[in-house]
Order: sequence, then C-alpha cells, then structure tokens
Amino acid sequence: MAKHIKQIAIYGKGGIGKSTTTSNLSAALSKAGYKVMQFGCDPKSDSTNTLRGGKYIPTVLDTLREENVVKAHEVIFEGFNGVYCVESGGPAPGVGCAGRGIITAVQLFKQQKVFEELDLDFVIYDVLGDVVCGGFAVPIREGIAEHVFTVSSSDFMALYAANNLFKGIQKYSNSGGALLGGVIANSVNAPYAREIIDDFVKLTSTKVVEYIPRSVTVTQSELQGKTTIEAFPDSPQAKIYTSLASKIAQHTDSKSPSPMDVKELREWAAKWADLLLSYENGELRVEAHGNI
Amino acid sequence: MTNLIDQPRYVCALGAMQTVSSIERAVPILHAGPGCGAKLSLGMTEGNGGQGSGYISYHIFPSSNISEKEVIFGGEKRLKETIENALKVIDADFFVVLTGCVSEIVGDDVQEVVKSFANAGKPVIYAETAGFKGNNLIGHELVINAIIEQYLKPASVVDKLVNIWATVPAHDAFWYGNLIHLEKLISEIGLIPNTIFGPRKGLKTIDKIPQASFNLLISPWVGLKNVELLKQKFGTPYLHYPVLPIGPQETGNFLRTVAQFGGISPSIVEAVIKKHEDEYYYFIERAADTFLETRSIARRFVTIADSHYALAVSRFLVNDMGLFPAKQFVIDGIPEEYKESVSNLFLKYNHGIQAEVEFSSDGQDVQEQIRKTNYYGRPLILGSIWEKVLAKELMGHYIGISMPVSQRLILDRSYVGYDGALRLLEDIYSVVLETSI
Repeated sequence: MAKHIKQIAIYGKGGIGKSTTTSNLSAALSKAGYKVMQFGCDPKSDSTNTLRGGKYIPTVLDTLREENVVKAHEVIFEGFNGVYCVESGGPAPGVGCAGRGIITAVQLFKQQKVFEELDLDFVIYDVLGDVVCGGFAVPIREGIAEHVFTVSSSDFMALYAANNLFKGIQKYSNSGGALLGGVIANSVNAPYAREIIDDFVKLTSTKVVEYIPRSVTVTQSELQGKTTIEAFPDSPQAKIYTSLASKIAQHTDSKSPSPMDVKELREWAAKWADLLLSYENGELRVEAHGNI
Repeated sequence: MTNLIDQPRYVCALGAMQTVSSIERAVPILHAGPGCGAKLSLGMTEGNGGQGSGYISYHIFPSSNISEKEVIFGGEKRLKETIENALKVIDADFFVVLTGCVSEIVGDDVQEVVKSFANAGKPVIYAETAGFKGNNLIGHELVINAIIEQYLKPASVVDKLVNIWATVPAHDAFWYGNLIHLEKLISEIGLIPNTIFGPRKGLKTIDKIPQASFNLLISPWVGLKNVELLKQKFGTPYLHYPVLPIGPQETGNFLRTVAQFGGISPSIVEAVIKKHEDEYYYFIERAADTFLETRSIARRFVTIADSHYALAVSRFLVNDMGLFPAKQFVIDGIPEEYKESVSNLFLKYNHGIQAEVEFSSDGQDVQEQIRKTNYYGRPLILGSIWEKVLAKELMGHYIGISMPVSQRLILDRSYVGYDGALRLLEDIYSVVLETSI
C-alpha cells in the first residue's frame, strides 16, 4: 500500500507571517529527514522565496499561459535541503480569476499523481490570507489537505480572519474536508498576547500548536533570502521552528472548531480592549491578570 | 491570436449530458446557466440524425439555471435544491450532476453537495464538465470516469464478458446501430458483450462493468482514459482497437485481434469471417458492374469527419473499394497527446497507401483547401451537413457521416462490420447513381 502523505494547509490573515512560518516549517521538516513539498497558493507567488535564495520560480499558471499542457515536474523546483517548491501563481492583479487559478493548479497536481511519484511525506499548502471565493477553499476540500493550521497574532483582525477560516473548516468538516490542527501563534511578544490567543482558542475549541515570538533573526534571514532554519540554524528562533515541525510531524487528530458568531466575537474583543486599556492606565497590573 | 471557428462540429464538454441521457433511465442535472442544456443538446441531437426526444429528453433536464446571484454568493444551495427536486419529480434510476463553466469558475464544491445525497435511495454522482475543459468528447470521458470512480464497485470477473466502448452516443448519430452490430460480431465469436447505452441496458449493465474479463475500446482516442482508469481501479485489461471496423478487410482483422486477445480459437473466428465474407462478396459480385461502369465517381475521396469516421471510412474505401485517399480532415478537436498516434493510423492502408491528414476544427479553412484540390472527377465528400453546400458547389457526391448530420434521419443504421459496409455502399452509390441520371 502507498504510504500516507500528510497534507497540510496553512491559512491566516495576509501579512501575518504565513509564508515565513510555512517555509521555516518546510525547512525544519526536511532537516528532520522528511520529504517535503511546499505549494504556494497565492497569486503573488512568493511563498517559497526564502527556500530558494530569494528567487522567484516560474509558476504553474505562468507555464499554463504559455503551453496548453503543463507537466507537473516542469513547475517543481528544489529548494533548501531538497524541499520541493511549487507556486500556483495567478493572473495579474485586477484581471482574470485567481480563485479558478488555484483550483486549476491544485487539480493539475492531483491528477498527475506527482506526490506519490516523489515519495513525499508532507505537502504543505501556503494559502492566500483572505478566503475570498470558492477557489481559495480548494486546499481544504475533501481529497486535498487533511489538516489546517492557522497562523495568527493576537491582533483582533488576525483573530477575526482565523475565526472566519474556522467557519469555512466547520462547513467542510461535515463532508470529509480538512479539520483544524490548531493555531500557530505568531509575533507573541507582548505579555498579554499569549493570553489573548489562549482565550481565543479556548472559546473556539482548538489549541495553540506553538508560540512564535517576533524576532529580528527572522528579518535578518529573510533579507538574505533564506529561512531562519538555513541562515541561523542554531538560533533560539530556529529551535522554535524545529519544535513546531516536530509537533506537526507528530500531529494526527484534527478537530472541527467552534467559531464565534460576529456578535460574540465583537463582545469578546471589546472585553479584551477594556482589559488592555486598564493595563495601560495602570488600573490592572499585567502580572495580575492570570486568572482572567 | 484566437481565430473565429466557422462551422462547429462539436460542442463543449457539458454536451456530455447526452452521454448520460443515452443511459436508460439516467438523467443529467445541470449546474449551469440557462440555455446551456437546450443549445448544446439541440446541436448534438435534433440537428444530428433526428435524435433528441425520449423518456427523459433534454427538454426536461433539470438545471440550476444559475445567474448573477449564484455567481456572487455561490451556487451550492441552488444546486442542492435542484437535486432534491429532481429526485422528487423525475422517475429515474441514476442522477448525474454536470457542472458548466460558471459554477466551476465560481468554485462551487459540487462534490460536497452531491455527497449529501449519499442516502437519497438512488445513486447521485457528479462530473466536472465545464466547457473550458474541452469538447463534448472530453466531456464524455469525464462522465464515464465519474461513473467508474464514484459508482462502480469491485466484482468478481465473469469469463468471456467483454465491455464494448465505441463511438460516443449522440455525437455519433450512428452510435446505437454501431453498438448493436459490434455486440453481434462479438457474440458470434463466442464472447459475451456488455454495453451500457441504449434501451434495455442502464444500471444493470453498468453494474456489470467491473465483472468484465476485458474492456474492448474501439476508438482512435476517445475512451482511452476510461479503459485506463478501469484497469487501474479493477485491474481489468483492455484491448485498444483504434479503427471502427467497416468492411471485410478491417472487420476480419478486428475479429482476429479480439479473438486472440480473448483466447478464442482461430477456427471459430475463421468460420465466422468466412460466413460473413461469402455473404458480403455475393453482393459485391452482384453489383460489380455498377461499381466498375459508373464512371462519374472520382477515384479520390475526402473525409471531413471525427477521427472515428475519417479513419474507419477511409480504411474501407481504400482497402475494400480501391479508391485513393486525398487529404483527410479530422475535425474532432483531438488533444495534442494523441495527434501523432492517430495520424500514424492514416499511414497504414493496404498496398503501402498513405493519406495526408490534417487536424483542424476550422470548417472554412478545410473547405477552402478542398476547393483547391483536384479530385480527378466529381469528388466523393464524406462529411457533415456543412459539406453539403460545398459538395453542390463542386458538383461532388456527398454523404453526411459526422456531426452535425442534420439532413438525415438515423435510427439504427450503422456502417460497422460486413452489413454496415453494404449499407455504406448503398448510401454512397445511391447518391452517385442519382447524379449520373
């Protein structure tokens, strides 16, 4: 019997650090000995840049624009430590239909059975932040990814996006689609950031897989066109990504989340806004809020 | 640059609704815009051999008729309603949801909607047949693959049972007669044929597909993806015989090839062939003077047809009737991956005769080339309704064989095998003799 390929989709608000996290995850998994493909599902096609020395690669849809038939291996490029990099690409901003582009690119790979041929252990889809139309939901439909992780900071808008994503997952979870593995908490530096995310995951019946602090090491690595795993393998930040990779490698059971409705979410955010204000005014000491 | 294609000779992938419709008591449910069903079906049926009506005809195919609202908000709810109501009001056995361009661009998750009907009591499956995926021949393959993937279950193999896959229903107005003749030929050599289209077949013969000891695909390229999937899913081997057999040369070769693949003794096959050839040549001898003395027919002919008929008819006219092939035009929008193998088939006539072949869907360009060709007499033109006017202009002999065949009523007529070749000769020479009077 063919081995099981773990297919994961990473979602989250635009600019929250999905590609950074995904690329470091891919790099760390490959260093742990796994065969990994990172599939960028964003028309900007920059998901895999830091795995390839900052270089852009020809995308599935660019190739499809030139030729009628695209062979999958024409658009697979090896990056750091043998990670296979693919970018779906898309139309120019403001024209065409990017959602259909994602459907076409993902189906092209599915039909050609590339994952089996490459003997992959992991396929990681790095998906555009906003699930604006049906096409962007394709990676979490039945038969594509099984586990979704969402990258979020403690900012309200990022959690709002995560909550929306949970709604999408809940819809597909009844029909064999992907389930939620958990939240990758990113840029958690402020003392209250962790508390906010912890509170959010508790209310939405999920968990935090890893807390990743904002770090200048990441910026330094990315300026070199590299992942932190490649540029600063011994840094504390690389250790966090390695720990994330190991948790994801061991992760087996994802669940259907329980997203908040808009009213609940607003009230919840308002509660936190009041609390944060009271910290700033010194009415409540940060250390004292542990029981909130 | 995109050219305008004059004279369509196929429709888009959603035309595969006619594949579904050719399965008894099956109904396609269209998840498409208003008009797709009627327009495509008209071209494939009423405008093609007088087909189209029947128990569940295209006039009543359920359609979600999606419009701007479903484009913006997604059409899944509308599709669900359409399926629910189709199940209530249409007394059918098998429901196949087919998606058109709009629903696939929007990205409706049709699989999820269809899955929610798993306990509907009747099978509901789906195929993604957006027009931008290709033409109705590709659509046909997508529908058959959907049946294989979503409906069929493994079963124990029945010795000598053979699934026959040949020309595409509705697209080929002769599809029914072809299947009947092929079944008959296959039975005569001791195999048990199984086909799924036409009356008295339906789900009960679909259920038998996985039981076959092999699949027999008689087609230059359409259907290859289906027999490959059947091999992959059920381990059923397949024999790909690319030429629809017309006349003694091709049919003899066909029967010998099938018999060898199916483990049938040569003595049985040779006896069948001899019986048919005796009968066939009796008529040829009887009409020999007519063939030889009718000088108004040019010795060169042209086919403007889908790859099935361009190949099958030209093989017969060259190998059995001694005519010479001028350039042959294949107009079925054949995918790039098959062009080489199919064009090679036009190089293998008897006596080392070869034909130039051009793959083109542009009727105007094809007809322009025919106008410039010298056929050394009244050309024999075998094409679609579009060639009728051209034939008049060129004082040619014309017979419609390839979609759209709007000038003929075709019920169970077929040009397959020995009997079929006699019918083709009757049809050709009836035209030729008429012009000679």
